[in-house]
Amino acid sequence: MHRLGFCAGQLGSLRLRLAGQLLPARAMSLKVGDKLPAMELVEGLEMKKVNLQELFAGQRSILFGVPGAFTPTCSRVHLPSYVRDYDKLKAKGISQVFCLAVNDPFVMQAWSDANGAEGKVRMLSDTQAIFVEAAGLSLDLSHLLGGLRAKRFVMVIEDGVVKQLDVEPDPTKATCTLADQLLQSL
Amino acid sequence: TAMTSQVKPGDRLPQVTLFDGAPNKPVRIDELCAGKSVVIVGVPGAFTPTCHSSHLPGFVADFDKLKAKGVNLVICVAVNDPFVMAAWAGALGSGDKVLMLADSRAEFAKALGMDIDLTAVLGSVRCRRFSMHVVDNVVKSVNAEEDSSKVDASSSCRLLTKI
Repeated sequence: MHRLGFCAGQLGSLRLRLAGQLLPARAMSLKVGDKLPAMELVEGLEMKKVNLQELFAGQRSILFGVPGAFTPTCSRVHLPSYVRDYDKLKAKGISQVFCLAVNDPFVMQAWSDANGAEGKVRMLSDTQAIFVEAAGLSLDLSHLLGGLRAKRFVMVIEDGVVKQLDVEPDPTKATCTLADQLLQSL
Repeated sequence: TAMTSQVKPGDRLPQVTLFDGAPNKPVRIDELCAGKSVVIVGVPGAFTPTCHSSHLPGFVADFDKLKAKGVNLVICVAVNDPFVMAAWAGALGSGDKVLMLADSRAEFAKALGMDIDLTAVLGSVRCRRFSMHVVDNVVKSVNAEEDSSKVDASSSCRLLTKI
């Protein structure tokens, strides 16, 4: 399994809006040892806003990212691996599993339903790609899917701190980011 | 507000490429509609509540009535990627009745002046809710919803009265 120490983040100005404050433009990328940013993403049909720091505080969690709900690799292989191995992940001390994509919450819910993820993998919508851009985990798929998307990645997060981060070198494939691969390192 | 003024009767369909089920399956809308009587339905988002439970089902249900009025093809367009559109077609059971085409980069919506900025809620520019009747690439009627969260002017039953 590849354990990529996360590569340098992209340069370019990003304006991060946290808690209503505009922070100065700076490049950022998430790496092992960092705390998750206090960003708000969206979960579910009620469009519930969820704060990342609150969501991951005090828990040992998995957060995996996919380029697109309903796209071939994500649907055939990646999400099913986490749904199928959910109990094994829990047995290794993981208390919650999240899937993140740059898709709106309605698409994410439909995808969850289609894959029987309810009660196992929770879906986070990074609708405006703010998290993936800030974390250096964005992928320009404008030519294929119409916009910026998430790279294929998986993180282990303990009490809001990134303990492990693996990014799939070829986003069309799922190898090191699959659940059974991750289980070997937990 | 849209950059282009909204499409109206008498206009020709723009020469825009949409996608049928995958990014490598392009379809030119004007080539698809040439010589045919076509209904085009635009919606803000696949799987969004109104689109899913009210708007599209009306066109699926009224398919035979539309055919009886000489319509050859019913197309639904949204600014979603082709995989999402294909999955939505499956979920709706629209099968051989409504052709779901992906306007992945909002080119069609913008060319029709039907684009609407829904970044805050859905993450991008999307398509307004509308229905349109087109014969041999010439627009015959356009029924745009003023409030895209509702289905009134753009419904299938309303369109049937205009064909």
